[in-house]
Amino acid sequence: MTSVLLVDDHSIFRSGLRSDLDAALEVLGEAATVDEAVALIEALRPEVVLLDVHLPGGSGGGGAEVIARSASLLGTVRFLALSVSDSAEDVVGVIRAGARGYITKGSSGAQVSAAVLAVADGDAVFSPRLAGFVLDAFGAVAGERAETSEELDRLSVREQEVMRLIARGFSYKEVAAELFISVKTVETHVSAVLRKLQLSSRHELTVWAQQRKLL
Amino acid sequence: MTTAAVRPPLERPRLAVLGGVCAGLAAHLLWPVRTVRILFGALVLLSGAGILLYVWLWALTPLERPVDAPAPVSRRVPVAAVLVTAAATAVFVELGAALSSREPVTVAAVAAAIVFSGGSVAWSLVFDAADPTRSIRYGVFVRTAATFLLLFAGLVGLLSRSTAASAVLSMLAIILAVAVLGAPRLVTLWTSLLAERAARVRQDQRAEIAAHLHDSVLQTLALIQTRAGSASEVARIARAQERELRDWLFADDVPSETDVAAELREIAAAIELDYSVRIDVVTTGVAVPTVSAALVGAAREAMLNAARHAGGDVAVYVESTAARIDVFIRDRGPGVDLATLPDDRLGIRESIVGRMTRAGGTATVRAGEGGGTEVHLGLERTDD
Repeated sequence: MTSVLLVDDHSIFRSGLRSDLDAALEVLGEAATVDEAVALIEALRPEVVLLDVHLPGGSGGGGAEVIARSASLLGTVRFLALSVSDSAEDVVGVIRAGARGYITKGSSGAQVSAAVLAVADGDAVFSPRLAGFVLDAFGAVAGERAETSEELDRLSVREQEVMRLIARGFSYKEVAAELFISVKTVETHVSAVLRKLQLSSRHELTVWAQQRKLL
Repeated sequence: MTTAAVRPPLERPRLAVLGGVCAGLAAHLLWPVRTVRILFGALVLLSGAGILLYVWLWALTPLERPVDAPAPVSRRVPVAAVLVTAAATAVFVELGAALSSREPVTVAAVAAAIVFSGGSVAWSLVFDAADPTRSIRYGVFVRTAATFLLLFAGLVGLLSRSTAASAVLSMLAIILAVAVLGAPRLVTLWTSLLAERAARVRQDQRAEIAAHLHDSVLQTLALIQTRAGSASEVARIARAQERELRDWLFADDVPSETDVAAELREIAAAIELDYSVRIDVVTTGVAVPTVSAALVGAAREAMLNAARHAGGDVAVYVESTAARIDVFIRDRGPGVDLATLPDDRLGIRESIVGRMTRAGGTATVRAGEGGGTEVHLGLERTDD
């Protein structure tokens, strides 16, 4: 059983999502505001928090603020951002705050469940759209590539290949088969990209996010 | 031929002699312009009734509506220069009157100088500033001349053995002269302030509406989609609505020029309306103007195929660089095998592969890993 906390300010959406989630997930509770979420995370210590990007309360920081205020628990509690496919600015905001992935609210219950399980296992969850964004923001399309694995501002060739396939709608398993590598390796690459997305100080990341809407 | 002439509406033309009143009236009454002008001239002689009528008509007659782009209004008579000349004449009269100590004439002349100079400056700022046929230099000249005339009129009025009335008027002239020096700056400041405020109000309202709709309607639409199952009619409608609303909410004010990505997104939206399918279009790279109808056409055919034969979720990925465009269309259907495909299936063979080959590009159709079909269209970009 994987324990989940639902954080969304729309009660209809919460109850809808709750009934759609896989039986392997145990919903510990629901929160509707930033402060409620922070308190419940502290008290319940769920494995995964399904977190809406836009939330009322707190100092107005929404989902990113919840993650920032629960930073001491980031080792045990993992965050999966859920959004009605928002602007890149919001999405990159929560990812950089520490979320392990991002999915849209249009995703089916099965898709959300699979994403929650993946995040609980320590993997990163990338939607095709987020992968496309990463390719653009890291200059992969323009032909930039990292020469060393320490470089945070660019993607390695392999990471670019993985991101391209995810952007094309491939699942991790399909990416693995396509590139003749193991699923584990794919997950490693995706996690590495997520880390770069969180740590990179690349100028384009923020500018790009502000200018473009991730529709 | 019938001559039931339709009266044109009473409008002032944008290219006018003075205010466009005579020309507009003549066009409306279907009279010659000259007749109208003579009539007005005659009326002016009746203790200025013509001037009153002219100003009244000027104020109440709408400007001719521009045909396409907002056109500026041009006037042929250099009114500001005429007024400056009149002011100069008034100052001369004042000087003469002051030297011969005719007090009432001095007062009247100072008053006239103030009215004419002030009028010229006002005209130059209000009308000439928007008139492309009047140069900036001309405006500066008018305002400088008006300033000097006002100062001169004021000083002469003060230095002559003045009565209270002429002293007050003279001081007023000097104060006005100072004001004229600062007027252009103040006017531009004021208008830009107004424009900025209007823009900000508009933006605030829009952001507020967007935030509200985002929090309510979009959430509901997302919920409907998940609850109804991606293949159902309701979900399809909800998704179409969501897309439409999102376009309206987040679209920039400036219409983006059509590029391949935007075009493919539009096609995907149209297909979603007709088939129970979800098409996710992800685009990366630079925005490129639609280079090839073949590429867009082939991509459309591939998406249609995916919608017809596979349904469910379809992923479209567009990557465009300065050198080439690649489009991937991936579905999760039963899959096709080109070798075993009957000859009458024109879709793939002709509309996709043939089309791309003729356009100098490539098209490959293959079974995806884990089921489904992936169509890859590639085209080198040639700049012409």
